[in-house]
Amino acid sequence: MALVARIPARVQTKLLAAFLTIVGLLIILGAVGLRVLSGVNDQTEELIKQQRKIAAYRQVQHDTTNQLYGISTALLFPDDRTLDAALRQLNQFGYDLDRLAFVAKDEVELIGQFREDYNRFIAVMTQVVELIRGGKVAEARKIQFEQAGPLADRLERRTNQLVNRAEADMVAAIETTEQAYRTSQFTVIGFALGSILLALGLGYVISWSLIEPVTEIGTRLRQIAAGDFTQRIHVVNRDELSALASDLNRTSEELGRLYKQLEEASQHKSEFLANTSHELRTPLNAILGYTELIQDNIYGEVPEKIREILERVQSNGRHLLGLINDVLDLSKIEAGQLELSIADYSIKEVVQTVVATAESLAAEKKLLLKTVIAENLPPGAGDERRITQALLNLVGNAIKFTETGEVAVQAAAVDGAFEVAVADTGPGIAAADQQRIFEEFQQADSSSTRTKGGTGLGLSISKKIIEMHGGRIWVESEPGRGSVFRFTLPVRPNIGRASA
Amino acid sequence: MSKCILVVEDQEDNRRIMRDLLTSAGFELLEATTGEEGIHLAETRRPDLILMDIQMPVLDGYEATRRIKAATELQHIPIIVVTSYALSGDDAKARAAGADGYVAKPFSPRELLAKIRQFLPS
Repeated sequence: MALVARIPARVQTKLLAAFLTIVGLLIILGAVGLRVLSGVNDQTEELIKQQRKIAAYRQVQHDTTNQLYGISTALLFPDDRTLDAALRQLNQFGYDLDRLAFVAKDEVELIGQFREDYNRFIAVMTQVVELIRGGKVAEARKIQFEQAGPLADRLERRTNQLVNRAEADMVAAIETTEQAYRTSQFTVIGFALGSILLALGLGYVISWSLIEPVTEIGTRLRQIAAGDFTQRIHVVNRDELSALASDLNRTSEELGRLYKQLEEASQHKSEFLANTSHELRTPLNAILGYTELIQDNIYGEVPEKIREILERVQSNGRHLLGLINDVLDLSKIEAGQLELSIADYSIKEVVQTVVATAESLAAEKKLLLKTVIAENLPPGAGDERRITQALLNLVGNAIKFTETGEVAVQAAAVDGAFEVAVADTGPGIAAADQQRIFEEFQQADSSSTRTKGGTGLGLSISKKIIEMHGGRIWVESEPGRGSVFRFTLPVRPNIGRASA
Repeated sequence: MSKCILVVEDQEDNRRIMRDLLTSAGFELLEATTGEEGIHLAETRRPDLILMDIQMPVLDGYEATRRIKAATELQHIPIIVVTSYALSGDDAKARAAGADGYVAKPFSPRELLAKIRQFLPS
């Protein structure tokens, strides 16, 4: 296979060569068949010839007997009619002998002797006829008895000899035919089997010399798709496939180079973002810290009017901090650099933590914050801090957009997944907006960004965190009837098991 | 006698906030701006608690914590590690370094005070 692959010819040429080889074999097979057929034909002709010879010999024998019989009749009834008949028979004998000489050209010697005897026989017969015609019947009978009889016997012996030889030839010819038939049978079967084996062999070798590099190229492409650009393929072929392989190697190298550049750029971007947000947060933390100290009267009693302003400073500062954190989170998620730290957690505790954190916000707006947690929830596996963050975003949004009524958090386990719902009695979300709100920087009503605050990143971050855990998030809502945000979370997700 | 807290923090404003918060809460304060200085002050002044910032140049908070916890005469001093914006795994790293408590920035001074009170009840 490797040998065939190494042949420096185009695939087309190789296929053509294999095809021509097979066609050549078929032509040879046909020629052998034709030769066998013509051999059989020759043998048949030979047999017919022998048969004709035998028939001619028999005719001559018959003529000899007839001649003796005719002369005997003439001796008994010596009239002109019987004598004429005897002479006619002599003529017929001559014809038959000529025919014999023509049919059995190869028996030159025997025919020669035969003709000699025949001539003598004819001479004796003519003499006998003449004597009878002359009335010398007794003398004619004597010659007939002494000369014609033994000559006729000799002629018969000679024809018998010829018949025997022809018969022996015929048997030999039949045997030869049978032998030739058997040999031809083996030759044809041998050639047919040989052709089939060669065709199969060529097909196997050529197809493998093509399939192997194609398989290798396929494997390599899958590796590239999986992000491995380091491998190279070595194809022994020196045809179109080797060109394809070296093109693939070049493409892979180029892709690898670009991928590395991209990775570096992305790395720089996230480092930049991380640094920037750290730099932004440091002074902001100081502002928030000082503000809290002032509020706590560390620097002296604060007048009520200033306290009110300080609260605004604090809430704006916290909002800004939230924005910075969201942008950092999202950029990390998008760069694929947010790694989940998977550990066992209790969804019940997550809900309780979120509710405890959000309680003061709900209380400020005089909203009822309810929790319905199913009994005996199994321990889950996931990044507890990120799941808490995702749920807190939902509960925070629910409180932010609801003016009166309640926010209810439910948690249950269904079919190996936690199902968590956050229901509010807020304004609800139009069907057209229900998909959009999960995208970055989108709120149902863009004016609400100003009135309600928020970055429009919270839902998008929640969605990504839940999807990273193999879960799903959606909203069920109708304007004027409140909203229910639901998400499912596999209890034991497959992802991140290794890093757990 | 008032309890003594060592603050290891390279940031002026953060130090100032802690100083104002903790002195007004009645603690005596020691301040270090680098990890090395923090270790030195811990050895010479034996504070009752250490607040250790993580992100410091040269010797970071994890390493300083490890060194203090490695010294038999200092290892009883509780150390609260302060990290900027909690990254996944930071708390585990702090615990691995030997820290007794962990506070993530942005912390509110009130929360920090509550955490300190866990180790130094008034």
